[in-house]
Amino acid sequence: MLTFKTSIITLVVGMILGYLGQRSRFCTISGVRDFYLMRDSYRLKGFLGIIIGGIIGFGAVNIFNGKLQDFLHPGSFEIMPILADGFNVEPLILVPVSLLGAFVMAYFSVMAEGCPFRQHVIAGEGRLSGILYLLGLVSGVLFFDIVLVPILQVISLL
Amino acid sequence: MVATLKGIWDSIRSWIKSFKFRLSDNMALITGIAMGVLAAVVQGYFNVQPPVGAGICAVSHPANLVNWVVNQIFGTSFTIHSIFVTLPVLTSVGFILGSFIAAVINKEFKFRKGPVRDNLLAYILGFMVIVFGLMWGSCPIRTAILASYGMVFAYVVLGAIVLGVIAACEYIKWKVRR
Repeated sequence: MLTFKTSIITLVVGMILGYLGQRSRFCTISGVRDFYLMRDSYRLKGFLGIIIGGIIGFGAVNIFNGKLQDFLHPGSFEIMPILADGFNVEPLILVPVSLLGAFVMAYFSVMAEGCPFRQHVIAGEGRLSGILYLLGLVSGVLFFDIVLVPILQVISLL
Repeated sequence: MVATLKGIWDSIRSWIKSFKFRLSDNMALITGIAMGVLAAVVQGYFNVQPPVGAGICAVSHPANLVNWVVNQIFGTSFTIHSIFVTLPVLTSVGFILGSFIAAVINKEFKFRKGPVRDNLLAYILGFMVIVFGLMWGSCPIRTAILASYGMVFAYVVLGAIVLGVIAACEYIKWKVRR
């Protein structure tokens, strides 16, 4: 049981959040979109709630003997390249790459009517486009690994 | 005496009822706070680190899961977060299962066409979102968690996400007007 600790705890946390997300229609991208288009702050409160809950949670865990690496001083450039983790990528090239990636991700998420978390939830509800979106997610990961990671490495060597 | 007690009880009951009403109004806020607290608990007490702030993510966790499965089957060496190398991360499976359970319990589960009408477009959108999301490496949820962890650059990225949403909204407005 202990050896499967990481898998089990992530599964349990995912199920709790999936349940809550289905009941509350939580979505980060739609939160900003609803507020911008219709001045509806219901879901935007959820997005801001993550930051509030994170500050409360990390503060409490830090006080009550939790192990947090580099709390309040995360090496910003070391943790950015998520899948280029083991490679020697020049840190400064990742600033524009990250900002471009976040911008375009938000743009296409509005077109898909929900952030990636929301797409998982609507796939669980039985919506067809959510399931197809998840299939696209899987093939996109493989495309990123096979095509884009080598390109990023070549760019960073220049 | 009994009348005053009854009055107090009635006022308490109406207060609880009003609180319940407000609870359903703030369900998204509660979900968000639960996300932040659970990310902290998972990282602090179940030692899901490095990388920091990776308790919950809807972009890097599915990517890690896919890479883990492909590595196991085909013997490739696609990169995975070091904490998830030996065991798979099942957060995304949990999201789907949890929302499926919630939908079945509340009798909302039904196969139907999704919010995106065009099937091929839904597939392409998922593809584009994960390709560009992996350049930054986090979904908006994990970006907010990193921001609360004390990472300054995450606030800049949150600004970029808001700008992307505004650009898409302006495009939709322009398209509707035309």
